[in-house]
Amino acid sequence: MSSTAGSTLTREEADLSEQQRAAANRPYQVVVWNDPVNLMSYVAWVFRSYFGHSKEKAKKLMLQVHHEGRAVVATGPREQAERDVTAMHNYGLQATVEEAE
Amino acid sequence: MARAFRATTRGYKADLETHERRLISQLCADVITLLQQRGKEVDGDTAATDQQDEFDHFRRELAGLGAQYLENEQEQAENDDDAQPGLEPPTDEVLARLLPDAAEDADEAAQLRRLSESSLRESKISDLQTARMALESDPVILTEEQAPVFGRAINDVRLTLAARLGIETEDDAEKVHNIAGQGKAATTDEFMAELYAFTTWLQETLFSAMLDVMPEEQDR
Repeated sequence: MSSTAGSTLTREEADLSEQQRAAANRPYQVVVWNDPVNLMSYVAWVFRSYFGHSKEKAKKLMLQVHHEGRAVVATGPREQAERDVTAMHNYGLQATVEEAE
Repeated sequence: MARAFRATTRGYKADLETHERRLISQLCADVITLLQQRGKEVDGDTAATDQQDEFDHFRRELAGLGAQYLENEQEQAENDDDAQPGLEPPTDEVLARLLPDAAEDADEAAQLRRLSESSLRESKISDLQTARMALESDPVILTEEQAPVFGRAINDVRLTLAARLGIETEDDAEKVHNIAGQGKAATTDEFMAELYAFTTWLQETLFSAMLDVMPEEQDR
């Protein structure tokens, strides 16, 4: 694919890169999962300080994780979502990235 | 007797007994050792330095992978699936909890792990080292910048103890707290349960104090 430098880009290749661009721009979401160790106060604090969520939204998401087992805490481009998941892991939260519905 | 974290004009302050500070510091050191062992296992000697990784990145560009590599690193990583195997999760229950999968799909998780686990390990080791430094002083005083770092480190210690104690449900956690409440730890598990309860209390008081002084912000 990279050997075409300097040559004429074919229609198929143009279409493909268009598709790839679309794929890269598809939104992804950060999911935080419930676990019995992380404290409610800690989880709420992480949501507020890291994502900048309001006190109310952070509490709502924290309770959603607690009661429903999981919650979508952020949505965005794939790279950003992956960075957020790694940050959640650094805080000790269970988190995964997935394609947004 | 230890006194919990509270917000003071000098920062978040806790009065801990010398043996308590030493114990927590030692637990931090144990977690550091675990993370470093994992690093040796998966990185080997070749990828021991970041510099090597940078050159690797650069060589791939030179090898004809083209500017697209930089433009769309993620896509390139996916194209490389065949060339570069993903990284398998740790088998040890503590490491598996400290370095969890970043996706539900096992293959995708292995690919993400190859890209991010090393930096995650380094961040955690750095946090734990900062916590150990803070535990050298009496009383323990944390600035606004140090408090979250200390909190993350203590949380990793709690996750480590929880994994060793087999805490998987809320009921398990409750049982551990009940064991700890009895005092007079005679077995390793009882001692770990007491440490778990103690670090939980420490973390709870720290973050309650931090939430109290946290300014209300608008949603991003």
